[in-house]
Amino acid sequence: MLKRDFLKGLASGLLFLSTPAAHAATRALPASHNKNVVWIMLRGAMDSLHVVVPKFDKHLQNHRAALIKPIIDTLNPLDRGFGLHPSLETLYGWYQEKSLLPVVAVASPSRSRSHFFSQDLLESGNDQVDYQSGWLARALAQKQMQGLAFAHALPISMRGNQTVKAWYPSSLPSVDEDIYSQLMHLYDQHPQLQAQLQRGLEINQTMGEKNNLKRAPFNQLCRICGETLATTDTQAAMLEFGGWDTHNNQIPRLNRQLQQLDKGLQQLKVSLATQWQNTLVIIATEFGRTVKVNGTQGTDHGTASALFLAGGAVKGGSVMGEWPGLADHQLYKQRDLMPTSDIRSWIGAALQQHWSLNDAQMANVFPAVSVQKRSLIG
Amino acid sequence: MKMLSAEIATSRFAYGANQKDLSNISHDPLQWLAEQLTPLTMPHSWHTLDAIQAEANYRMAKKQDSKVMAEPVMMNMMDEGQAKNMRLPSQKARRQAFKLAKESQISVIKAAAEKNNGFQYRLLDFFSNHFSVSQTNPKMRLLAPTLEAEAIAPNLSAKFSDMLMAVIKHPAMIYYLNNEQSVGDRSAIAKKRKNKGLNENLAREILELHTLGVNSTYSQTDVKELARAISGWSVNFNRNNKDYGFEYRKWAHEPGNRIILGNRYPAGEIEQGERILFDLANHSDTAVHVCFKLARHFIADNPDLHLVTQMATTWMKTQGELRSVILTMLNHPSAWDVKAVKYKTPRHFVISSLRASRAHWLAWAAPGVLEQMGQAPFNAGSPAGYADIADSWNGGKALVSRVEWSGFIAAKVKQEPMPLAENALGTRLSKTTRQAIQRAESRQQAMSLLLMSPEFQFV
Repeated sequence: MLKRDFLKGLASGLLFLSTPAAHAATRALPASHNKNVVWIMLRGAMDSLHVVVPKFDKHLQNHRAALIKPIIDTLNPLDRGFGLHPSLETLYGWYQEKSLLPVVAVASPSRSRSHFFSQDLLESGNDQVDYQSGWLARALAQKQMQGLAFAHALPISMRGNQTVKAWYPSSLPSVDEDIYSQLMHLYDQHPQLQAQLQRGLEINQTMGEKNNLKRAPFNQLCRICGETLATTDTQAAMLEFGGWDTHNNQIPRLNRQLQQLDKGLQQLKVSLATQWQNTLVIIATEFGRTVKVNGTQGTDHGTASALFLAGGAVKGGSVMGEWPGLADHQLYKQRDLMPTSDIRSWIGAALQQHWSLNDAQMANVFPAVSVQKRSLIG
Repeated sequence: MKMLSAEIATSRFAYGANQKDLSNISHDPLQWLAEQLTPLTMPHSWHTLDAIQAEANYRMAKKQDSKVMAEPVMMNMMDEGQAKNMRLPSQKARRQAFKLAKESQISVIKAAAEKNNGFQYRLLDFFSNHFSVSQTNPKMRLLAPTLEAEAIAPNLSAKFSDMLMAVIKHPAMIYYLNNEQSVGDRSAIAKKRKNKGLNENLAREILELHTLGVNSTYSQTDVKELARAISGWSVNFNRNNKDYGFEYRKWAHEPGNRIILGNRYPAGEIEQGERILFDLANHSDTAVHVCFKLARHFIADNPDLHLVTQMATTWMKTQGELRSVILTMLNHPSAWDVKAVKYKTPRHFVISSLRASRAHWLAWAAPGVLEQMGQAPFNAGSPAGYADIADSWNGGKALVSRVEWSGFIAAKVKQEPMPLAENALGTRLSKTTRQAIQRAESRQQAMSLLLMSPEFQFV
């Protein structure tokens, strides 16, 4: 039935005529459906000690003087004696407006220091990796909301929910639309390809002219993401941003990375426009890095890192998370920042409060975790 | 024993068939594959020295440029904004070098689509992705394509330890995973220069990605010990030195015994690290890890574990002789299962579509389209390489991109679609697809339908 309707729409050209604006105008959704979530995964392990810097900790300089000295006087002051890296200008503005909430010393259950295992585990949100089910997809499913991943295929955190789609811009020459109806017919015996093509055509239609971009760096994807959330029925989006694996020359590399992140987030806010007030942005990475500088002016794989909750919906302006200290005996395995809380307990609390999920629904999102009780949203 | 078909040999283990491929090999498809288990001769000659020279030329030209730019007449032009659009000699040199490095990538795609040794190119792809390096900076843009050419292609049928050794000593890998500056904390140089020390990046990825695998039981101490053992394994980037390329620096090597996975390696120079790599290559966890990945790459996302066990057993019996391991895979019934369950990666799809339509001359367009499909050559962005399962490539929009690429080829190809379809798919061409091709309203549409048919997407 679905397919026949689709072909009918295709044939009459109606499907290709309806615009994102038309969607927005006709929507009448429950309140939670107007509340957006943007999930940004920083792949490669961001060195949180270089970003939310514990200036007050007297051991910091002993471990990493070479990394800290050049930036210590340029940090923007945060609550509890922390300092924010100067490249995060926009984020500091948000902090002052009380829409940025850094949480320190968080980690997923992973203690492996493998990027790939730890990313999979964080995305899955369970105690073991489930490649077919991710936490954001599960959260969306609780309220029958739609999601979009800016990726070539669904990343794990967006898997397991039929309403979530993957999209990225491409500027290949478009083809005669007739070929699509022929292919839908050719795929009659192959429901998997048929469903895949249908999802592709639907998302292409939603994204309209954005399909024609040749390529999109992170800040452009952020802009497209904001526009899409502000004008369509999509409630949650996922963005990925790599390049954090700073084993060498960390200072210049993180300057660049953080500038790009900051620029992208600025674009996101601008394009969300008034919808910013109803948005929760979650920014996290798979693990932190070694407390000590390594032999090549960088840092190696560590354990705890920091999480950012941001957006107009967030009750920000302070730094949360218990600080474990940086004395040798306070480190995890005498090398890494010790995790003091489960990253999922914060993400879960923020999601629960933002989307008004009840405890039973939360148990479907993060089955193994009890969420933080503090008020993070509103 | 299942019937060994030429259709399966070409589509599952190579880049598909065209012209008379199927009839040429149908008498013994297994033999056709087995004959390809030899070193591969690369279709280009872009080498480490070219990359090193290009980088050196650029640096020299840049020095020259900054002198010129500092002259008063140029300063005036700068003020008037004229110099903005001028291309400096250094920029020209750099672009030229990038172009040559890129052409080497195109030549590999073209040869894979055109030549009759597709299985060798599939194996090259597999190991090139297993030992993934990315073009993350200008130097890597030049160096990345040399790794597969110099360390992998010559070792396709060798022992895994030979390939591993060649890869880990290759300038592209050492530089990509930051080992060139890693020095032992108690080495001669570290005693003089306090800010010098270990970098454990390469050591960790050797254990996690190249050999034992993340599910093995090595510890953080093993990572550190391996990093110490290969400290001083560096690169000489001086083109005027005949010893350019891999360089062992005695003064940067951590002295002392090493203990890895409980085995003791006595103090020594370069041979200490070599012994460890040799043992890692012959570890049973490495055998299972690499055999599983091979079976997953060629046969199914979740391959028959009996197949993996047989391959790993061969590995342990032959000290990781890749030729024997791969023959074990080819002799297993699941290699010839008629059910096609493996969804092509973008690279596999793009190259096989060029081959089926005899459009290898369009290979120039492949890097661009692969970038759009998320699988640009040497750009996985992580040492884990590109994912090798359908879940990573089966997005809806990604399928639309495949349709668009098919349309691009179809618009350029002038041959009759039905003979192309029959030559490409043989008995795998389904009645439905045949009908669709026959009923298509244009030759162009027929070509697109062939390339987008389920039997062309799955192998």
